[in-house]
Amino acid sequence: MTSSSRRSRSLVLGSLVALVVGACGPTASPGGSASPGSSAEPTPVTGASCASGATEVKFWTSHTPPDSDTLAKIVEAFNTANTDICVKMTIVPGGETDIAKLLTAIRGGVAPDVYMADRFTVPQRAEEGALDALPASSEAKKSEHVEFAWNETQYKGKTYALPFDTDARALWYNKDLITAAGEDPAQLDISKGAPTIELVTRIADKINKLDASGNYEIMGWMPGGPGDSGPGAFDQGWHYTWGFVHGGSFAEGCDVTPTNPGVVAGFQFLYDWQKAHDPQKVARWVTTNWPPQSPQQSFPFWTGKLGMTISGDWQIANAKKYAPNTNFGFTFIPVPKEGDETATWAGGWSMALIPNSKAKDQAVKFIEYATGPDGQRVYTKDTTHLPTLTALQQDASLFDEQHKVFLDLLPDAKNRPPLAVGGIYWDALTQAQGSVELNSKTPQEALEEVETTVQPRLDEVGC
Amino acid sequence: MTAAATSAERRPSRFNLGTIERRNLRWGLLFISPWLIGFVIFGIFPIVYTFYLSLTRYSGLRDPIFVGTANYERMLADPLFWKAAYNTLYYTLLAVPIGVVVAMLLAIAMNQKVKEVTVYRAIFYLPSILPVFAISFVFIVLLNPGYGLVNWLLTAVGLPSPNWLGDPAYTMIALVMIAQLGAGQWALVFLAGLRGIPTELYESAEIDGAGAFRKFKSITLPLMTPVILYDIIIGLSFGLQVFTSAFILTGGGSRGAAGPDNSLLTFVYYVYKQAFQFGAMGYAATLSVVLFIASVLLAGAVFRWARGWVFYGSEDA
Repeated sequence: MTSSSRRSRSLVLGSLVALVVGACGPTASPGGSASPGSSAEPTPVTGASCASGATEVKFWTSHTPPDSDTLAKIVEAFNTANTDICVKMTIVPGGETDIAKLLTAIRGGVAPDVYMADRFTVPQRAEEGALDALPASSEAKKSEHVEFAWNETQYKGKTYALPFDTDARALWYNKDLITAAGEDPAQLDISKGAPTIELVTRIADKINKLDASGNYEIMGWMPGGPGDSGPGAFDQGWHYTWGFVHGGSFAEGCDVTPTNPGVVAGFQFLYDWQKAHDPQKVARWVTTNWPPQSPQQSFPFWTGKLGMTISGDWQIANAKKYAPNTNFGFTFIPVPKEGDETATWAGGWSMALIPNSKAKDQAVKFIEYATGPDGQRVYTKDTTHLPTLTALQQDASLFDEQHKVFLDLLPDAKNRPPLAVGGIYWDALTQAQGSVELNSKTPQEALEEVETTVQPRLDEVGC
Repeated sequence: MTAAATSAERRPSRFNLGTIERRNLRWGLLFISPWLIGFVIFGIFPIVYTFYLSLTRYSGLRDPIFVGTANYERMLADPLFWKAAYNTLYYTLLAVPIGVVVAMLLAIAMNQKVKEVTVYRAIFYLPSILPVFAISFVFIVLLNPGYGLVNWLLTAVGLPSPNWLGDPAYTMIALVMIAQLGAGQWALVFLAGLRGIPTELYESAEIDGAGAFRKFKSITLPLMTPVILYDIIIGLSFGLQVFTSAFILTGGGSRGAAGPDNSLLTFVYYVYKQAFQFGAMGYAATLSVVLFIASVLLAGAVFRWARGWVFYGSEDA
C-alpha cells in the first residue's frame, strides 16, 4: 500500500470515528439526561430568589392554577424559612392516574425529588417502584393525620407519602335557576337531610331547556357523565359516588368487588337516568358546553347552563372567583329512597419521595413542611380543600360557615380502597361508567369486565 | 491458470469474493458503518429487547420478571386489546384510501397550468407542516356540535350535525378528517409522479379523441400506480401507529377511557396507557410485538396484492 493511500484511509477512518462518536453522544445514550435548564425540562415557577449554594430540591405537581398558585406560595414560604434549601416547583402534564412524565423522567435519570401523587394511587406507584419509602421521622407523623388518609399512603408496611389534603362531596345547586323553573330551592336545604334522587330529578327536569333543534341548552342535573374529555363523571358523579350512595363496597380484603349489589345498583341508576334523558343528547350538551381542554371559567355550573352538580368543597373558592353573584346552595348527595343513609367519599393528594433523590434529607424536610400545619393551613384557607391533620380540622378559624358543612361530612365519608391497583381499578370503572351511560352495556356486563381486567393484576402484585 | 496468476486476474467463484471485491466490500461497509451502528443500536436492539420484555412482568422501574407467554395469553382475553385493534384497523382502512384520493386530487389541482399555481401549492401544502397536536386543539373547536364551523356548514346545507367527539359512531371519522390536513405532503409526492408522465402520451391520446376522464383512467392512473402503492404502504404504517390526535382529543388519557365507549382507543394509545399509566411495560411490549408482526404481514399482503395492479412501465407491451 502506498503512503498516500495509507493517509487517505487514515483520514476516512478518522472522520468515520468522529461521526460515530458525535452521533452516539450524550443525547443518544440510554441513561442520558438533558442538562438542567435545557429546553427539554419544564421551567420551575419557584426558587428564583434562592440563596446561591442552597441545595436544590425538584418538586413536580400536575396541579394547575389556581391550586398551583397556592402550592407555589407554600414552597416560597419554605424556601424563605430554610435558606440552605431551594425547592423548585414545576407544573408538569399528568393527572390522577397519568404519571407518564414522572415514569419517563425516573427512567431517564432526570426525575424530581418530590412528586405530588393522588393518594389512592400511592400503593400502586409504590409497587411499580416509582416511589421511595419515607424515613422514620415521617412514619412518626401517623397519629397527626386522619386514619383513612394515612392508610392510603401505606404499602406492605411502609409509608410512601404523607397526606396533603382531603375533600368531601355534596350536591351543589343554583338557587336562581331553580326559582326560575318555578320550584322552591328550600326543598333542598341541608337542614332537611339528604333529598331523594326522585326529588332532585323532578326539579332538574323542570330546569331543562331545549333549543329549536330539540337539543339541551340548559340541563337541570348531571348525576354522572360524560365529562369534558369523555367517559366518567362530568364533575364528581363518579362510579365511587353512586356505588357508595347505594350502599356498595368496592373491595373486600384482597379482592375487588365491582359486581357488589350496591355498586351494580349505582350503575343501574346512571343507566336508567341516561336512558330517560337520551344519552346522545346529554353527550351533545356536554361536548358543546364543556369541550375537551376547557378552562375552569367555562364550567357550565358557573355560566348558568347547569342547575345542579355533584361537586366538592374546593368549589367554594371557585364559586367566589367565577360566579360571585350567583346564589348557590349545597346539600347531601341524593339517596335512592326517603330515609336512606347519605354517603359521600373523601379523596385527596399527598407528597411522595422519588427514588434516587440526590437531596433526600432536604426533600423529606420539604415534604414534612408542606404536609404539616404550615402547608396545610395555607392550602385549606386558599383553596377550600380540607386538611388531613386532625389538629387543623379542629381549628375553627380555618373554616367559614360553608366550608364547615363539608368538614362535618368527613367523619362518615368513605374512601377509595388503598390497593396496589388503585389507578387501574379507577380507569376500568371509568370505562365501565362510560359504556353504561351510553347504554351500550348493561351495568352487570360492564362491571364483570372490570373484575376480569383488574383482579388478575391484583393477584399478581398482592396486597 | 498458473499458480502465479495475480489476484486481480483470479476469477472468483460463486460464493467467494476476489481480493478486489473483498476490499470494495470492506470500504463499502466502512462508509455505511455510521448508519449501520445507529440502526443496530436504535433499531435492531430495541426490537429484540421488546421481544424479550414481552415475556416478562416489568413496571419499567424494577427488574423484569420472566413470565413466559402469560402476557400473550392475557392479551387474547383482553377486551380492550380487541377494541384497540378494531379501532386501529377501522381508522387505517378509512384513512388510507381517503388519503390517497385527497392527495391525488390536490396533486392534480397543483398541476394545473394557471398563473398563480405556486400560491395554490403553498396553500395546499401549508396545513401539513403544522404540528398534529396544534391541529387537534383547533379541531376541538371546529367540531363543537353547538357552535363549531363544521356543523354550522352542515346545518346550512340541510345535513345532520353530529356530535363528532361525543358520539362513538363519529369519533373515528373526526380523526380521519384531522389526518387529511397532512395530505399536502403526499400531494407533493403525487405531483412529482404526475410531472414524470411523458406529455407525448397525452398528446397521442388527444389525437385519438380521448377526453379528460379517459386520459386520467388510461394514462395517469396506471403510470401513477407505483406512487399510489408507496402512499398506501406509508399510509398503512402511519395509520397503524396513529396516536397524537386521539390522545389530544381525549384529554390525554387522564379520564380513564379514550373517547366515548373507547372509540378513540387506538393500538399505540393502548400501548401508551399500559406502559405509562398502568406501569405494565411487559404487557405493553407484548402489544408492540403484535403490532410489529401485524404491520409486517399487512405490508406483505399489500405488496402481494399490488402485483396485480401496479405498473412499473418496464414490462414488454
